[in-house]
Amino acid sequence: MDENQRYIDSVRRSAGPLESRVIDDFVSGRLSRRDFLRRGSIVGISIPVLSAIAAACGGANSSSNTGSTTTPTGGGKAGATLKIAGVVPTAAINPLTVEDEGGLTMLCQTGEFLCFDNPSTFLVEPMLATKWTPNSDGSVWVFDLRPNVMYNDGSGPMTADDVVYSFQQQCNPKGKSNALSTFTGILVPSGVKKLSDTQVQFTLEAPNGNFPWIISSDNYNMIIVPKGTDFTKWQSTFIGTGPFKLVSYQAKVGATFVRNPHWWGGQVLPAKVEHIFYETQTPQINALQSGDVDVVNLIVYQGAQSLFNNPSFNILVNHSSQHRELSMRCDKPPFTDPRVRQAVALTLNRPQIVNALFSTYGQVGNDSPFAPIFPSTNKTVPQRTQNIAKAKQLLAAAGHPNGFSAPLYTEEYQEIPQYAQIIKQSASAAGINIDLHVVQQGTYYNDYWLTGEMSLVDYGHRGVPNVFLEAPLESTGPWNAAHFKNPTYDKLVRQYVAAVGLSEQQQIAGQIEQLLLNETPLVIAYFFDGLSATKKNVGGVLTTAMGQIFLHGAYASA
Amino acid sequence: MAMLTFILKRIGLALITLWILSVIVFFAGQLLPGDPGRAILGNLAAKSAVAHLDRQLGVDRPLLTQYWSWLKGIAQGNLGTSYTFQQPIRPFITSALTNSLKLAVVAFLMCVPLSILAGVVAALKIGTGIDRAISVFGLSAIALPEFVSGVFLIEILGIWLNVLPDQATWPPGSGPFTQIYYLIMPSIPLTLVLFGYIMRMARAGTAAALDADYTRTATLKGLSRRTVIRRHVLRNALLPTITVIATQVSYLIGGLVVVEYLFHYQGIGGLIFQAAQQKDFPMLEAGIVTVGAVFMVANLFADVLFTILNPRLRLGGTE
Repeated sequence: MDENQRYIDSVRRSAGPLESRVIDDFVSGRLSRRDFLRRGSIVGISIPVLSAIAAACGGANSSSNTGSTTTPTGGGKAGATLKIAGVVPTAAINPLTVEDEGGLTMLCQTGEFLCFDNPSTFLVEPMLATKWTPNSDGSVWVFDLRPNVMYNDGSGPMTADDVVYSFQQQCNPKGKSNALSTFTGILVPSGVKKLSDTQVQFTLEAPNGNFPWIISSDNYNMIIVPKGTDFTKWQSTFIGTGPFKLVSYQAKVGATFVRNPHWWGGQVLPAKVEHIFYETQTPQINALQSGDVDVVNLIVYQGAQSLFNNPSFNILVNHSSQHRELSMRCDKPPFTDPRVRQAVALTLNRPQIVNALFSTYGQVGNDSPFAPIFPSTNKTVPQRTQNIAKAKQLLAAAGHPNGFSAPLYTEEYQEIPQYAQIIKQSASAAGINIDLHVVQQGTYYNDYWLTGEMSLVDYGHRGVPNVFLEAPLESTGPWNAAHFKNPTYDKLVRQYVAAVGLSEQQQIAGQIEQLLLNETPLVIAYFFDGLSATKKNVGGVLTTAMGQIFLHGAYASA
Repeated sequence: MAMLTFILKRIGLALITLWILSVIVFFAGQLLPGDPGRAILGNLAAKSAVAHLDRQLGVDRPLLTQYWSWLKGIAQGNLGTSYTFQQPIRPFITSALTNSLKLAVVAFLMCVPLSILAGVVAALKIGTGIDRAISVFGLSAIALPEFVSGVFLIEILGIWLNVLPDQATWPPGSGPFTQIYYLIMPSIPLTLVLFGYIMRMARAGTAAALDADYTRTATLKGLSRRTVIRRHVLRNALLPTITVIATQVSYLIGGLVVVEYLFHYQGIGGLIFQAAQQKDFPMLEAGIVTVGAVFMVANLFADVLFTILNPRLRLGGTE
């Protein structure tokens, strides 16, 4: 037995069942190196150990990280004042209720999480927790907290009491936290317990192999605050453990932060960051082009073409699971027949749609929430392609030889109106006459999203597909716009969520994907990248597909 | 005394008009789609949470109760609290109105003298090439939307040539001259839009005054052309122009949503628009009533000026 094998065996001996399975999957070749690193980080294997195992196995680096940091020549010098253009927060900055891009960008300037879903490494990394350990089935997790972490107002250190308080506020089913959409069915306040000053235990409602991801930075509300913090007044202090502290916040105008001298993470490169809020994208692009700002956070390709292939700017790309769901009411004719739903899906030319809306910054979808970026996506399921003849056949078999008419409701948001027009035109080739209604976002969500016969809605990025599988598609899912009720599907999702091993997840994912192709309660034609832009001389900016921007390592070289 | 009575009557009328405006905007706002609780908590919040917040905000109370509660507050100078931002409304309105007034003043100073001069010149040269050129330019400028000319200006002057800032938001602590410098670019499209209206009214008024008997009499008396125009023509020609200028005030103060967004300027138009989108009733009502009040003041000022310039009205005669 060689030295590498002895090392792997020694790690296995001290690992729990969840960790062992991940190691076994990698050693046996069922997991790529990248997927091993990601799965391993989620179940709590430390990064050095992961790297050592990977090296011991001599695995090739199959990582396809795009990285979302830029490294212009000149190095990372400290002291810059950086100006960031971003979307205006639509409401007060309350960590419980923030659900918009502008708000979550603000939260992560001073707020931090137990774990960090690093978009450039695809690892769930320690942040305010240094390590986490699951029990044998992933229903109980213990997190070790980082010691001596001070808050940006000089108070602290952060304790287990703060963590327990923060989580109990966010997962309280009687509260109004936006994070409930993630925690429902997973965590309740009584499941959060302090074990010691530096340890917190989470007892879940059901086993969940992805729990560290669920409470990571992807759950953007889940910042840790001091026990007793009044969330409604958080905006006046922005108290947190992060690398910056608040200088000023002016609703609708902007926010300024300076270095937090107490930050546990070491040197913060920028001396000051100024966030400037914009209502629309065009003035943000203008500001970057004229040099008024250094970074534009979260742009969409449509309208920003002048920045692409432009040597004056860097484009930061985050492959993501952002997508749009076209749902069809499975309980309302003509969509009660799955053949009709399949026919609609078959009218779309997906590669052409992606190219038209996103150029090279999107990927084709296969009518399931399993995005290409998810390691658990089963890529052996055949890709649905446009087939107008088959669509007409299916319609005829379903009793609609001349097609039918149906209303489609959707929202005025980003590229969605254009996509809706494409759907309407494509469907008409099969005789389906879509009566399109594009309404303002608030109206859509209040009046049409969950009730319209056909409904087209936006979904932001998630690091794992769990929320996408549950909320819009489970029989009791709160976002089930298609009114899809399928016990087989529900059972498969439960199995998927409980599964820990990646190969097991992929196997179940394949069944889910095939079921969704057969039933087609909704059409997911594409996933698209999260994009940001910086001036050429700006580097060290870390962005995520959902709009967070981390600036502690940012700099502007001469 | 007659003037004082006139002003007091107009103030009284303005207050009644503002009250009617507040009733209209309050009840019309109920027709807006959306829900304040939903707007605050977000699109994905549970219905129970939205309903709970609606109760806390008091939007489930009878409409008349809500309106009375709001009216009482306004009478006491309390504009209320924004549903969206959970902060007092007054600083938002004050800041946005100040910004809008600054932009309106710069736009007016740029537009009004230019338009009046062009209208008078066109009338003096009526039927000539100069008159036609000015008229065609004025009509074209009206037809060009301000957001189209704004985009061109930003591209050419702001980005390519970099001679003017492409954003109207000046650095904090900037003095008046710096602020004016930042307001030049957004004022240009507004000037183009208003130029045509004001120029045409000035042209028509001047042409009519030039044709009037009193002008002929003044000329026949031997007064110089310049004196005739200055002392007799302009004063009569500009009376209708004053009315047109006053009617543009509400546009300049509360109607510049697209220009404000394009030039990233925190004016009251954008504030009201966002409040309508988010069903932030207190902000919406306060914003509209504020713009209405400014419009009333501007019209009152125009009426007083009109009366001062027109002795027939001052002395109780008719035109």
